[in-house]
Amino acid sequence: MEGLAGVASGDARVPMSEDHDRRAAEMRLVRAAQQGDLLAFERLYRDNERKVFGLCFRLSGGPALAEELTQEVFVRAWRKLSSFRGESAFSSWLYPLTVNVALSERRSRRRRDARIVATEDPARLERTPRAPAPEAGFDLEKAIAALPPGARAVFVLHDVEGRTHEEIAAMLKLATGTSKAQLFRARRLLRQALVS
Amino acid sequence: MTCHELDERLDDWVAGALAGAEARQIESHLAGCAACRERERQLRRLLAHAAALPRSVTPPRDLWPGIAERIERGSAWSAFLASWQPLALAAAAAVVIGVAALLWNGSGPTAVRTVAMPSASPTLRSVTDTGVADPVLAAAARDYEQAAGALLEALQRRRAVLPAEDLARVEANLEVIDRALEEVRQALVKDPASPELNRMLVATHRKKVDVLRRVVRLSTAL
Repeated sequence: MEGLAGVASGDARVPMSEDHDRRAAEMRLVRAAQQGDLLAFERLYRDNERKVFGLCFRLSGGPALAEELTQEVFVRAWRKLSSFRGESAFSSWLYPLTVNVALSERRSRRRRDARIVATEDPARLERTPRAPAPEAGFDLEKAIAALPPGARAVFVLHDVEGRTHEEIAAMLKLATGTSKAQLFRARRLLRQALVS
Repeated sequence: MTCHELDERLDDWVAGALAGAEARQIESHLAGCAACRERERQLRRLLAHAAALPRSVTPPRDLWPGIAERIERGSAWSAFLASWQPLALAAAAAVVIGVAALLWNGSGPTAVRTVAMPSASPTLRSVTDTGVADPVLAAAARDYEQAAGALLEALQRRRAVLPAEDLARVEANLEVIDRALEEVRQALVKDPASPELNRMLVATHRKKVDVLRRVVRLSTAL
């Protein structure tokens, strides 16, 4: 997808003691930020920006909106920071907030911009005039971006992010069965795009 | 098993969620159906491709300056809200004390108890429009009421972006000012010619407009 400067993994496993030290250092930053220390919050931002941007990018379907959403996530995180007690990693606390911001913004934009209604059309992917290239050069990012929003959200959270249907249902306020149905729909549309 | 039935179960099959007779049926169908084998291969490739996508993506530009700016503007908003509670209450208290003092001097303690009822009365407002006898002050009160109406509409449009707790605080404080306005209006019904009450009503309107203007300006920057 155009406009991306690069990627970083950030998913590597680390030894338990190192992880403990990192969590302790993170909690010190959180406490400082809770006292109003913006520099500490910037460190938390730097540690998490790529994961948040990656998720916003795929849930929103484009880099420009993902920039706005990422900023919104961290502004809201700052406002809600007093509610973070450190029971989980800061990134885990940010995750549902990111999903919520990305999807609620999508809903409000849909209300504001009639053109976005077109992306809700489930048949859009099948009849797109610029179909993705054949499998060898298949651009999965573009195909994901072209999915209907509901199917895209579930596909990204389940098949890219590795979340369970139960977690997705809780975050998106759906029935588990609806999450499964949306995943089935997304995969079918992507398979069709794959062979077109 | 038909190709359609297999397609319906393909997700569970590749997830390894099927066993027993159902799994054997699928194996058997796949062994004899090249089209379904191809579908299975495509799905497995798709899932492998999706799982291999990087979860972390570097933003194309530094987003922090924009975040920091919004946080700092939001801090101005929070500081304003924090300062507003005592401000509004102090304004309302000053009005009530002033009204009580004027009525004590004029009509005695019974009248003070009467005006202590804060409920709004549309009937009272319709009798005197602004409730102000002096035509100059009445015109000023009307202007302030119109300005307050326009600012309230602007605030209404900002509802979706304001944090719920902030909005509740704004509304609670506006209610305090409105109760103070109502106190003065009721007192004016008893003593329409009182220059102090006339000025007090206009001053309270002005206070409401000033506060609303700051609320709208600061909330627009959020």
